[in-house]
Amino acid sequence: MPDAQTLTLISPELLLSIFGLLILLVDVIWREKSQSALPWLAILGFALALAATLYIWGSNISLFAGMYMVDMFSLFFKVVASLAGILITLVSIDYLRQRTPYRGEFFAIFTFSILAMMLVASSASLLMIYLSIEFLSYTSYLLTGFLREDKKSNEAAIKYFLYGAVTSAVMLYGLSLLYGVTGSLNLTDIAAAFSATVDSTVRMIALVSTMLVLAGLGFKISLVPFHQWAPDAYEGAPTPVTAFLSVGPKAVGFAALLRVALTALPQWVLPAPPPAPVKEIPLVLAVVSIITMTLGNLIALRQTNVKRLLAYSSIAQAGYMLIGVVAVNLTGNSPFSGLNGILIYLFAYLFTNLGAFICVIAIENATGIVEIPEYAGLVKRAPLVAALFVIFFLSLAGIPPTVGFIGKFFVFGAALREGWLYLAAIGVINSVISVFYYFAVVRQAFFEAPKDATPIRLAPLVTLSLVVSAALVLAFAIYPQPLLNLAAWSMGMVK
Amino acid sequence: MDLIVFYLFATLAVIAALGVVALRNPVHAALCLAVVFISLAALYVLLSAPFVAAAQVMIYAGAILILFVFVIMLLSPGVDQGAGALKWQRPLAAVFGLALAVELILVLASAVLPAARGQYTPERLAQIGDVQAIGALLFTDFLLPFEITSLLLLVAMVGVIVLAKKRVRS
Repeated sequence: MPDAQTLTLISPELLLSIFGLLILLVDVIWREKSQSALPWLAILGFALALAATLYIWGSNISLFAGMYMVDMFSLFFKVVASLAGILITLVSIDYLRQRTPYRGEFFAIFTFSILAMMLVASSASLLMIYLSIEFLSYTSYLLTGFLREDKKSNEAAIKYFLYGAVTSAVMLYGLSLLYGVTGSLNLTDIAAAFSATVDSTVRMIALVSTMLVLAGLGFKISLVPFHQWAPDAYEGAPTPVTAFLSVGPKAVGFAALLRVALTALPQWVLPAPPPAPVKEIPLVLAVVSIITMTLGNLIALRQTNVKRLLAYSSIAQAGYMLIGVVAVNLTGNSPFSGLNGILIYLFAYLFTNLGAFICVIAIENATGIVEIPEYAGLVKRAPLVAALFVIFFLSLAGIPPTVGFIGKFFVFGAALREGWLYLAAIGVINSVISVFYYFAVVRQAFFEAPKDATPIRLAPLVTLSLVVSAALVLAFAIYPQPLLNLAAWSMGMVK
Repeated sequence: MDLIVFYLFATLAVIAALGVVALRNPVHAALCLAVVFISLAALYVLLSAPFVAAAQVMIYAGAILILFVFVIMLLSPGVDQGAGALKWQRPLAAVFGLALAVELILVLASAVLPAARGQYTPERLAQIGDVQAIGALLFTDFLLPFEITSLLLLVAMVGVIVLAKKRVRS
């Protein structure tokens, strides 16, 4: 039986488990009568988990025989997860009402998927990483296919599941190799075992197993060539779930990647002092990053469905974030460590991309429109949504004064500091390309005449979450200090 | 003696595994899978882990394989007639699969695996008991993964029921 201190430190996870089960239970007992209360129960759970996370803010301790780290790095992701949970639940309420009778189960599974995000962020052993990523995957598959009557939703779930099953098997193979070589599941012990051996062939094993693990994490993050599921799954999934898929698994995929890279494999990832050549793993990641952002952006140029467009855009965004991983260097006291760049970028991306998807949901809920040509004249029909689209797209493209600019600034800054000039240059060129497709949507909305000029009525909850995410996108751009502090503190994980 | 048994069952497992992917008739493939599972169970016995071996036979060869056979019976897919539209994938898959195999063999054959031996040696296991050791670990060091697995299974179960059951509520 864990003691009281342990229970306090895992209280966000405990709260979410309790609320997930509670939602299932209330749904079973009160059935129809409880339907409208269930999402609020989920939101209460997320809010309490957020409060609990802030209560244990500043902890730095490892629990359960070194398997579970409660440090600033993981607490950062727990804050992100609970905020995403609240926003997505708010916009799901209206969306689901007409589409599925199983709303209780939806909110329960969704609560568990946020719990799984928190678990991934804290995992510090290969077993926990695998288990919590599988947990997150199962809930994501289920949510993707949740609209049983909708063929596209079914197709999306099946594609997502088959792809995910294969990549997670490949990842498991890589994890078992790491375990076989080092004799430990614990990330810090793995690092110790690696630094204790002088045999040069061990380097090859580290490289091969890392590549296999990267297949599984790359699938979660939607890196090329593990991205093919993303457009179909994003298009077919219920749109609030698409919003979740585009931020949740991606964020914690990066969390797991960083945790493995910096805790278990620092020797193979972190750069040596200058005369030493660039190491293999960062080099591979740099190539993947270039292909990911370029391919994502080029294909996005040709999309006419806004959900598919945002899917390819989110693939490209993953490429930019990966630059931060390539350029990680934790020595010295530079404001550009790469690690803080990714964290700031992830935070910015979370609210921006959620905001963009909430815009899509607002329009889809009222009219069913998801094709970009039908967005013509949106500014006359729903001026608020059209205006906020501009803000979110500015932020996704990384143009000031939005929080997306701050994220790109710190990621590209780290690349420049570490001498990855061409990587930063390709990143900037890609950002310019992305402006074309983002503003194709804006052009339709602002400068084309509407075919049907009836105003679009927005549900109050959707409007609320739209305004909240837009406010955050602008507020953190004008006053980024809390974000900079937050990201700097989270770096305490590596010493 | 151990080594002979190891090579016997290891060879059997590899051959049967090839059968799983190469045989055209899904029932034959499923039977090959049973052979793989049982050979692996024999390897676990060699590693002085009889409990894992028994679990392997009961869960994999028993429950999971039976489930596979049921699905095959219910769907009755017939004999695979070749790849059809995905024909070009076969040679490509073979090339990439071989490349990975060569890579892994080269790496594993050249490296001296420095893995540390765990604290549970065969002598110690014989002293405290195999099942007891697993049980104690499951509720101490591995408590968290154990509890998470239970939640994961619950969610999977609820989700499958939602996706698969006949529509009753509307």
